[in-house]
Formats: sequence, structure tokens, C-alpha cells
Amino acid sequence: MLQYVIAEHPFFVATGALYAAAVGFYAAAWRSTKEMVGRLATGLMTLALLLNLALILQRWHEAGREPFKSLFESLVFFAFWMAAVYLVFERLYKTRVFGLPATLLSFGLIAYALAKWDAEIVKLPPALRSPWFAPHVIVYFVGYAAVSLAFGLAVIQLLAPRVPLVQRLLAMKAGTITSGKPLDVEAMSYALVRFGFVLLTVGLLVGSIWAKSAWGDYWVWDPKENWSLVTWLVYGGYLHLRRVRGWRGEKGAWLLVMGFAVVMFTYLGMSMLPTAEESAHVYSG
Amino acid sequence: MNTSTTAATAAAPVAPSFAEREVKLTAWLVVSAILAGSVLQVWVPPGGLTLVAGAGLAGLVALAVAFLAPGRIRETLAGFRFISTLLFVLAVFAILGTLVLQGKPAGFYVDRYGLVGSLIVALRLDDVFHGLPFALVMALFGSSVIASATLRWPVNLRKAGFFICHVGLLTSLAGAAASASLALRGRIDLHAGGEQATQVRLTRAGAPTGEYAQLGFDLRLDRFDLVNYETEYRVGYYEQKRVQDARGERDAWRLVASFDPDTEKHRLPNGDSFRLKGIYPDFAPATKAEPANAGAPALQATVGGVTQWLAPGQRLASPDGSLALVFGWDRPAAPEGAMTAVLVSGAERKVVVHRADGEVEQAYAPGLALLGGAVRLGPLHEHASRTVEHGSASREWRNPVVAVEVQQKGLPKEQLMSAAQPSAYMLAPTRALVFEKRDKEVKAFVSHVTARQGAAAERRSIAVNDPMTFAGWTLYQVNYNPEDPTYSGLEAVYDPGVPWVFTGFALICLGVFYMFYVEPRLKRAAATAKA
Ligand code: HEM
Repeated sequence: MLQYVIAEHPFFVATGALYAAAVGFYAAAWRSTKEMVGRLATGLMTLALLLNLALILQRWHEAGREPFKSLFESLVFFAFWMAAVYLVFERLYKTRVFGLPATLLSFGLIAYALAKWDAEIVKLPPALRSPWFAPHVIVYFVGYAAVSLAFGLAVIQLLAPRVPLVQRLLAMKAGTITSGKPLDVEAMSYALVRFGFVLLTVGLLVGSIWAKSAWGDYWVWDPKENWSLVTWLVYGGYLHLRRVRGWRGEKGAWLLVMGFAVVMFTYLGMSMLPTAEESAHVYSG
Repeated sequence: MNTSTTAATAAAPVAPSFAEREVKLTAWLVVSAILAGSVLQVWVPPGGLTLVAGAGLAGLVALAVAFLAPGRIRETLAGFRFISTLLFVLAVFAILGTLVLQGKPAGFYVDRYGLVGSLIVALRLDDVFHGLPFALVMALFGSSVIASATLRWPVNLRKAGFFICHVGLLTSLAGAAASASLALRGRIDLHAGGEQATQVRLTRAGAPTGEYAQLGFDLRLDRFDLVNYETEYRVGYYEQKRVQDARGERDAWRLVASFDPDTEKHRLPNGDSFRLKGIYPDFAPATKAEPANAGAPALQATVGGVTQWLAPGQRLASPDGSLALVFGWDRPAAPEGAMTAVLVSGAERKVVVHRADGEVEQAYAPGLALLGGAVRLGPLHEHASRTVEHGSASREWRNPVVAVEVQQKGLPKEQLMSAAQPSAYMLAPTRALVFEKRDKEVKAFVSHVTARQGAAAERRSIAVNDPMTFAGWTLYQVNYNPEDPTYSGLEAVYDPGVPWVFTGFALICLGVFYMFYVEPRLKRAAATAKA
């Protein structure tokens, strides 16, 4: 299979390889005191991001429609936004400590797409041929990328007091933290959730406008709609609870883990539901 | 965080008893709302009116108690603990709605789940979102939104986001209430060619209610179009896999990869590779001629893109029949019907272009192009030996066939594969290469309609994702009949709540954005100004 993918989809393989290389360099940047190692990691990640974008655009051109109809396509799309959101985050916070979890997420998505290989181009059914399709999906995936990264940070926050190596990461001065300031992981994941929450809200709005124009009703209690609402409510709950005393520490981090689980279930788990047969939203194949 | 309550909950070392009391009161309110709703719905079944009236009345009661009763009910309602709890409870309701199919007849649940099914029906989990428990939780939600806003009054720029968000929430809720109680929806079935509708057959949860509503205008279906994607031909690589589905466990062929029909070498997922040596859109045996000492004369000619070897007396015509080439050893006669004929005489080595208004003669030469390239002449042999090869009678995809060369373990092997007949190349008992026609898939259903109200008329097309709004009704394309191409099924919806729901939702988006990205700036600016 790999031989086939290399021969027929070389840019896909190259994208995966670049993410893998970025994983390696971000890991090395944890140990190395050389600025160069971290810069190379960022450079590789940027290159992977560009190639990933090219994959998406090429697919858009070849399929003659928005390139996120099938699960395969959406995985490639998700990987791109994961990397894009992370690189912006890295710039804003001037740290490469979290490069490893972020690149692992992007790489994992590409690897999953490879494992479940199904790159066939399918036609858009009439229900999906809508000007709302692209904005709806794009907004959601950017939002998902942000809350996924927040999940990565929450895991680090939870591990830090238990695993000395992780604890050391947060105080790491050389190589990775270009500003030299100690890191407040909780505040960072909170900022990511705020950003993600705005997008989840807009995504819900755009989705309901689309539902209105396609199905005649802005809300039909479809399983995917409901789970998007659950996602939104969980993060809404987090944003409010964070203001209650005692929720900024581990309890808040656990909420982000739960939020991520709900996101993943909304994204991939719909076919497991007993109501899936009636849903207009389940990825087939 | 610039209000007394939030500051108190967030930072000050308040007596723990306050937090404890808030938690208790929250739990008590939420649990009693759900229990009361569950009991009361024995007498008040779920429905749009139940939801709206139940939530509205209970909300008023909750607010009245919050404002009038002693204790800290209003503060609790407005607190972060309470609203977070409600958000999680609403999430549980939403999840419930995805675990139990909604809105089916009672018998369905009993048949499907037995005893559990009876429980589902008894608790009215078959219609969670219109029942009293949900209505009462929504009542708490609404009163919480209002209570928190009154506690934070008045509005100022530095906390406008919170108010925008809350006004948005209330607007959306009001819109949803309007939809639930006032909206009408139903079906209009029409046949093309002028059939008219003036009323809507009302439905509830997809089932007809037996009632009708007047449209208030005439709707006529002029034409119904089913638009397909273009047919495609591809080379598909299939593998047999064990699958488990509704029909039990069995072997099924699954498409693993597919390729455009081109002449490049392709690698297959199982490690073999293939190449198409020939692609014949309109497969037909073709004669090939070589110069020889004996045998009939032969001329190669190309007309309309199709190349053939001709024997004396044979002709080659363009697809539309307007142009024909005729080959003869002696000069042939112009055929009937063709507007323009090219007559080639082998003995004279002459070419005559014959038109209605006269003839032009010239000498034959191999490679000669005539009529702007529509006709091209190839070699001419006085004696030729003939062999039969694969070829294409035209460039239309009428009978596509490919000649595939497969490399397995270094050995090339050739086979013809036709899209019309099953002619797979079996790479292994469980792996096959197939040249296949992709069935036409539906791209769009389009109803062309005319709506007429008095003197005003509007002609429009209605398609999935492209509804038409006229005189308060919005019309959606929802049904068609493959057996009856003139039929179109439309859904008509009258829903006065929609603009409110969307306006409210847009305000929520705006408010949240403002809270996160504008307020912090304003607060920082204020802080620096103070300093
Ligand atoms: C589901 C609908 C709701 C959404 C989407 C929502 C959203 C938000 C968001 C995103 C914040 C900002 C949180 C932060 O900065 O950390 C916020 C703050 C707040 N929310 Fe909500 N909220 C909702 C419902 C409510 C309700 C029903 C209440 C009533 C108690 C409420 C009370 C508050 C309060 C008091 C604040 C803080 C405002 C401030 O600090 O100025 N929210 N809300």
C-alpha cells in the first residue's frame, strides 16, 4: 500500500514525512540548547503546512468542489488547520515547547488518513452543493484545531505535577522558550478555548443558516447538530466555570480533556449512535 | 470581573457556607425542575405549545420568586455555578436526543427495545425537546439570563459584550418560541406543465395532519429538471473484504483505488502495476494495411478525427453525415446525401472535392489535408495485405474498451476490458482491475415555478439549497419521483421566528467576540489611563 501511495500520491507522503521530521526536531529542541534546532523545527513545520495547503488546493481543483466531503479529505484539512493554528500560537507566545504535541496531532491525522486510505473522489450530492458548505466547515475546523491544541496543553498541565520531565519542560529556558519567561499553560489553553469558542459559535450559526436553506428548518435535532451543541455547551460551561473558585487548576484541565473527547466523538463517532441511520451528517466509508 | 458578585465568587475569602448554599440551591432548582416536568407531563404531553407555554410560565414564576423571595435565589440564578450547571444539563438533554430516535410512534420503541421501549414512551423520551422537563430547564435558563443581566445593569462599553450576548440569547429564544408555536409546514405536490397549487397539506414531524393551509397565492410548476453529473469512465482496483453489515457477515468487493483512463504507468495498492496500451472510446475492430505484392488496394484516411484503412468502394463519413470520403480504384461517384464529398481515385492518384456548386480536382499526395483539416489523407498502396487490430470507430464514448497491460512479478500480460461487459482483469482471486462506467449521479433537482398573487408574478427556480421565498412562505425542493419525471415535491414553510433566531445568534457571536477581544483592550486602556 505504501508503495502505491508513494507512486500515485507523492505529495501526500511528502507532507506526512515533513510533519514527522518536524516532530523529530521539536523533540530534539527539548534537549538541545542550540537555537538552530528549534528554528529548523519551525521551518519544517512551515514547509509541511505549505505542502499540506497545496494538497488541499490540488484536490479542490481535481474534484471540482470543496475538498472536505469525505473523511479522508477532512483529515487532511484538519491536519492543515492544526499546523496553522499551532504556528500562529508559537509566534504569539514565543515558545516551541508545545511543538511536539501539535506536530504529533497533525502527523497523527495524516497517518490516520494513510491507515484508512480512501482517497476516492466522490461527487457532491445536491444537499451539500451550497455556498454555506465551505464557510461552515472551515470555521469548524479552525475552531477544532484551537480546542485540540488546548487539549494538548491541558494534558501537559495535568502531567506536569506527576511527571518530572514534563515539569522541567515548563521551566525550560534554553533552545525552546525564545522569550525566556516561565510558561502559564493554563492561561494559554484558556486563550485557545476563547478563540475556539468564538469559531464554534460562528460555526453553529452558519450551520443553522445552512440547515434552514437546505432542509427548511434551522434546527432539526439531527445527531451531529446535537453533538455540536454539546461541544459548544461543554466549552461554554468551561468558560463560565473557570470563573468559579477552584476551577482554574486541574478541574478545568479535565474539562478540556472532556471537551476534546466530545469534539472527537462529534467528528468521528456519529456512526456509532443508534440514531445515525436518520442523520444527514455521518461520514460514509 | 468588575461586579460585586463575580469579584466575591472569584477572589474574596468568603465564608464557605455561601458557596455551599449556592451549590445546594442550584442542585435543588435543577433537580426539581426535571422531576416536576417528568411528573406533570403525564397530563401535559410534549408539543410546541407545551414547550413555549411551559417555559414561559415557569420562567415568569422563577423570576418572580428570584426577585421577591428572601435568600439569595437571584444571586444563585445569576451565578457562574448555576449557569455552568444548566449548560451541562442541556448538554445531557442534547445527548439523550441522539441516543433515542425522536418523534416515532409509540409502537416503534416497544417493538425495538421491548421493556426499555415502554420506559422510553412512559418518560416521553421519544420527544425530549418538546416535553415539560426540557421546558422547565429552559425556563431556568431564561430566568438566569435575565437575572444576571439585571444584576449587572447598567450597560457600559467595558461590559457591553455580556449584554450583547444575553440580548442575543433572549432574542434567539424568543424566535425559537415563535417558531415552535406559530410556524406552519407542509407539502405541495405538483406536476409540470402548468398544474397549480393554492394550498399546503400540513405536516407535523413529517406526517400529514389532515389539515390544509392557504398559500395566499397560486403556485405553478412549469418544468422539473433532474440534472446529472457527466458520466465518467475509470479504472477501478477492487479487493474482496469480509464485511459485517445489516445483511450479516459476507465477502464483498470494495473499491480501493481508481485511476483516470490515461496511458501512464500506475502502481496498484497490492504492489502490481498496470498501463493502458490502448483506449478505444467506441471500440471496433480496425483493419491495418501493409504494402504487398498482391491484394486489394488500400488508402488510409482521417475524417472527423477517425482514421481508417479503406478498400475500394468503402467510405468514411463525419459523425453528422455532412461530409464523406469515398475511395475507389477508378474515380468513384459522389454519394447521395452528403453535402460535401471527397472522392479519391487510386488509379489516377487524383482527389476531387465535390460540392453542390461544383468540383475542384487536385493530385493525391500522402499527408494531404483538405477542407481546413477536416479530411486528411494517408498512404495509398496499390496492393496491400490486411490485418485486423483494435480500433475506435469514433471519438464518442459509445462502447469504451481499454487494452490493459498488467505487470505482476515482472511479467507483463495483456487483456481487453470493456466498460459495457464484465471483463475484469483478475490479479488474484480476491483482487481485480475493472474498467467501469460510473453511473450518472444526481447533481441537482430543479423546479421551475411561477408564483402569482393578484397582478404580481414571479418566475424562479427552486433547487435543494436554493429555496424561494414569496408572500411569507419559503418553498423547498424535497422530493421527486424517478418513475414520473414531471412530478416535483416541495415543502412549504411559514416561520415568523427565523429572522429573530438568526439575529439573536449573530448577536451572541458578536457579544462573545467583543467580550474576548474588545473588552480586555478597553480594560487595559483604562488601567494605563489611571496609572
Ligand atoms: C449558552 C449561552 C451562553 C453563552 C454562549 C455565554 C457565553 C459567555 C462567555 C463566552 C463569557 C465570557 C467568559 C470569559 O470571559 O471567561 C460569558 C461571561 C459571562 N456569562 Fe455567559 N454565556 C451564556 C449564558 C449565560 C447565562 C445564561 C448567564 C447567566 C447567569 C451568563 C452569565 C455570564 C456572566 C455573568 C459572565 C461574565 C460577564 C463579565 O464578566 O462581565 N452567561 N458568557
